[in-house]
Order: sequence, then C-alpha cells, then structure tokens
Amino acid sequence: MARWGMVIDLDKCIGCQACTVACKSENNVPHGSPKEQQRMQEIYWNKVIAVSRGEYPTASIEIIPMPCMHCEHPPCVTVCPAKATYKRDDGIVMQNFRRCIGCKYCMVACPYGSRSFNYKEQEGKEYHRPDLPPDLGLDSKTHIGPWPFPHRTHGVVEKCTFCFHRIDEAKKRIEAGEDIKIGIDVVPACVEACPSGARVFGDLDDPESTVSKLLTSRDWFKLREDMGTEPKVFYLPR
Amino acid sequence: MELTYTPIEGKSRQYYTAVAVLAAVALAGLISFALSYIKGHQLFGSSNAIPWSLPIVIAIYLIGLSAGSLILSSLTYVFGQESYKPIARMAVFLAIVLIFGAMVAIAVDLGRPEKSWRLFMFFYLNNMTSMFALNGILYGGYFVISIGYLGAILTNSSKLVKPIGILAVCWAVLVHMGTGAIFGFIATREIFYSPIKPLEFLAAAMVSGLALLIISVVFTLRFSKRSINKEIISTLGRLLSTVIILLLILVVVDKLTHFYSPNRDATVFLFTGRYSPLFWAGQVGLAYVIPLIILFHPKARKTVKWIMIASALVVIGIFFERFVLVIPGLAYPLPYYPGHIEGIWGQVGSFPLLPAEVILSVGMFAFLGVLYFLGLKFLDLLPPPVETEPAVEEAASAEE
Repeated sequence: MARWGMVIDLDKCIGCQACTVACKSENNVPHGSPKEQQRMQEIYWNKVIAVSRGEYPTASIEIIPMPCMHCEHPPCVTVCPAKATYKRDDGIVMQNFRRCIGCKYCMVACPYGSRSFNYKEQEGKEYHRPDLPPDLGLDSKTHIGPWPFPHRTHGVVEKCTFCFHRIDEAKKRIEAGEDIKIGIDVVPACVEACPSGARVFGDLDDPESTVSKLLTSRDWFKLREDMGTEPKVFYLPR
Repeated sequence: MELTYTPIEGKSRQYYTAVAVLAAVALAGLISFALSYIKGHQLFGSSNAIPWSLPIVIAIYLIGLSAGSLILSSLTYVFGQESYKPIARMAVFLAIVLIFGAMVAIAVDLGRPEKSWRLFMFFYLNNMTSMFALNGILYGGYFVISIGYLGAILTNSSKLVKPIGILAVCWAVLVHMGTGAIFGFIATREIFYSPIKPLEFLAAAMVSGLALLIISVVFTLRFSKRSINKEIISTLGRLLSTVIILLLILVVVDKLTHFYSPNRDATVFLFTGRYSPLFWAGQVGLAYVIPLIILFHPKARKTVKWIMIASALVVIGIFFERFVLVIPGLAYPLPYYPGHIEGIWGQVGSFPLLPAEVILSVGMFAFLGVLYFLGLKFLDLLPPPVETEPAVEEAASAEE
C-alpha cells in the first residue's frame, strides 16, 4: 500500500498562490467575499502564509504553503466523535460530510489550521466535477463514503483531500493496464498548478519516487514536529 | 424531623406573567436558532479562528451549575445532613433542568443539529477516543440518573434514595471532570492544555452550583413567603468561601504554569490582550476577589443579603471564567512556523457579538426559566409555607 506524501521546496516557492487557486477550482471550494475573508469565514483547503522573522538588518521573510499535513497521528481523527474524519489505508486523512455533525472539535484540535467550517449555503455546491466520475455507485450499499456527496452543505467541516479522486481514478486506470504513474502523470491540483515546480507528490514508501529521493538527498523539516503528529508534508528549507 | 413538601399554587397573575415573558424570550431564541439553521453559522460570531462560540460557553457553564447543584444535594441524601433538607429537592430539580439546558446548548452549536443523535450511538457510530463521545455517555447517563434520583426522592422511597444518590453524585463528578477533559486534553491550544483542567472544572462547578443554589433558594422561599433559615444560608456561605479558595488555588497553579517563561505567548495574550479586562474584572474580580472579601467580612458574612450579593457575583463571574477560557483560548493564532505570521493567518481571531447568537443565548436561559417555574408548580419541591393562607407567588425571574 502506498503512503502518499508531499515535498514542498521553499527555495522554489515564489508565493504566487497558484496552488490555492488551483485547489479552489479543482474542488470547487467557494470563494468568500473580502468581509468573509477578514472574518475568517472563507473556506480554504490550501493556504499560503508569509512569516517575517527578525528585525532589520537581519530581517527575512518565509513563504510557507500549507495544505493539510495528512498526519500519521492526526489529532482531528482522535477527537472526532462521529467517525466523520478518518485516515485511509494510504494515509490520506478524509472528511465524510455525511457523518460530520459540525461540532468543530477537529478545528480546535488541529495544530495546522487546515480545517474550515462551512458557514453558509454556498453557491458552488457541487463538490465533484461531472468530468471526474465518482468511484462509488449511487445505490444504498456503496453510498456511504464521502463520495459521492453531490452537494456541499453548510454546517460541516471541510479539508484538503490530497485530491484523492485523482489518485483513485488513476489507480483504476493502472489496473486497466494504462502506463501511468501516480506522482508523475497524476498529481494533486496544487502540484500540477505550481509554476516553479516547488511541490512534489508521491509515494513515501517507494524508494524510486521523487519524494523519497528528495528526502534522502536534501535537508528537510516538518511543521510543528513537537506536536508529535508526524505530518506527511515535508519542507525543503531555503 | 419529618418534612413535607408542596408545590406552589401558581395561579397568581405574577406567576403567569413571569412564565409568559420567559416563554416569549425563549421563542425569540428558537426563531434565531431556526434562522441560524437555515442560513448557516455565518449569523454567529464564530469563525475558522474561533470555531466555538457562546453556546459552548453556556453549555459548559450550565453543566457546571448542574453538577455542582447535584453534588450539594448529596449533603442531605447521602451524608444525612438533615439541616439542608428543605433545599435538597430543589437542588436535584435544578440539576436536571440545567443539564437539559446544557445538552440543548451543545445541540444548537452543532453545524448539523439534526445529526446530534450520532453523539449517542455509543461504541457503534462513535469514535470512543474522542472526549466528546465519552461525554455523550456521561451527559446522557447523568440526565437519566438524575431523573431517577428525583423520582426516588419525590416518591419518598427511602430505600432507593441513598444508593441512587451516591451513584448520581459520583456520576456528576465524572460529568464535570469529563467536560474539563474536553479542553484539558487538547495539546494544540496552549490555554486549554492542562492536566488539572478536570479538577479546575470540578471546583468551578461546586462554586457556581452552590452560589446558584443559594440564590434560587432565597428567592423562591422569600417570594412564596416561606420561612428562610438564616443558619443554613450562612453555613452555605461559609462552604462557598471554602470552595472559592479551592478553585482560586487551582486556577493560580494552572495560569502560573502557563505563564512561566518561555513558551507563554498565549497566556500573556490572555493577561494583557484584547480579552484581558474580561479575565481580570470578570473572572478574577467577580468570581473570586469580591465574593471572598464579602464572605470573610465579619459582619457581611452573617447577613442573607450580602451572601446573596456574593453568590450573584460568583454566578456571573463563573460565566466570565467560561468565556475567557473558550474565546481567548481559541483566538490566539497558532504558531504554524516560528516568526511573525503576516495577514489574517497570524491575526488574533475576532469574536463579534452578533444579534442572532445573543438572542439565542438569552432565549436558552429563558427556556430554562420556564422549565424551572413549571417544575415549581407541578412538582413537590418546596417545604410548605408558614402561614396557611394562599401564598402570593413570585414575579421574579432574576435568578438566572
């Protein structure tokens, strides 16, 4: 079983926010008005923060893109009372809208602020796109996962999924005999959109994958390692 | 001493006015809840920075009042202190009303309140590592046990009262420690994260429950022209000062640990930031310092009036204690990366008091007031009046 992870090269990141926008259009995450953004009621699955450090003459600024860290030990999964958030076998931390009761305990427990609450009935209700068919049927037996959840609804928590629909679809195509590789031909939308190639996606357990090679050859760090969450998003320092 | 209990008559005009006014306010709260359900939580002051807002503050406040009230009823039924018997029934009844209010408050804070049944699918649909799911067991069980307890008391089945009473009191202790664990176990939030949070919540429950009990006892007895035993009130006042000191010690230990350098930014924010007036004036002033001064004043501590004032301050002050735990505890931005985070991700979260949320909160209290008045009318909760002529009923609604 693969263990999906992401490597973000901070030396290459130019802070253009293309990943944020690509994520929004891929997953149809609604845009918020400036007022909603100021009040922190806009939904972000991916955010880019700017961190200033020190004072002149030693001042510097770091740009840190932050998707969900898809932790090995996710605090959100531990605290969710309704089993709405869970970790898949391949390490992706998912959110099931159908089970979520909207208690927001996961948002309180997440050390990375990667979860957003849906504060109103959104205009962009369609969560999936018609050109990317769901991997589960519509009958009552298979209609249990997060997918398909045809309409997003207010009152539940949303988060980044590492574009699991792309991965799942690619797995089926591989099974059908197509010669594609997840991490090279099929990547999450933010990785695909990054103009400077700062983001790399792949299997952390596969020694041949680009992420593994980067992590063995370069110095890397993870955010808030002291929390013991073991994120699967790695950063290469500037 | 054999005591008899009787309901108030509840036919006077004042009684009906009080119930009608409270019911109208509760209805306004229901309407704002319906609006927030249709329009989403944008009507609340909560945001992705401060996900929990007033309903959660009220929930943990009411749970505290409830658990404290029930624990104190045990003085009579478990430890056999006969002198507290006139108020013991009311304490149990208050505990039931308040825990019901707390569960309502939690339900209205859920984004999808229609799915709140999921919280009670113990071990089946619930993730039992979640403190919230464990507290579902505690709250549900507590509600059932307290109703059984009240039933046993009302039917005077002396065989059942003591065992159920012991179970109810132990359960009430668990309930409030569990509520503390919801906050104390979250390592992400610096102000929450503390091993003594459960004990602190328990002490706060005793303090606020006792103070509310003093207030509601004096008010109800006075307005229904029943006799007040001054000795009981002043003993309760002494008990109140003891538990306030206990709570104060726990809070000082907790805050001092968090304030100790380094790694203390969130606590410095609590002490000096936007919400610091609420902390110093609301929590420290109203809940601890002023009541302690009153309760240790050689003359004031012997009068019912001053004990009442101290209790009222405590009940308000503990509400602020809950508020400055939840709101500033969440408002301080998370340190994603060392340094100063620019823009909205590094801002202290703002928490505007929006009309829908405030009306909803006031409405919940009014709803509890309605339940309380109905209980006084239909259940045998109070010792009989001194005079035999029909008593004049109260028009008071101020005990909230």
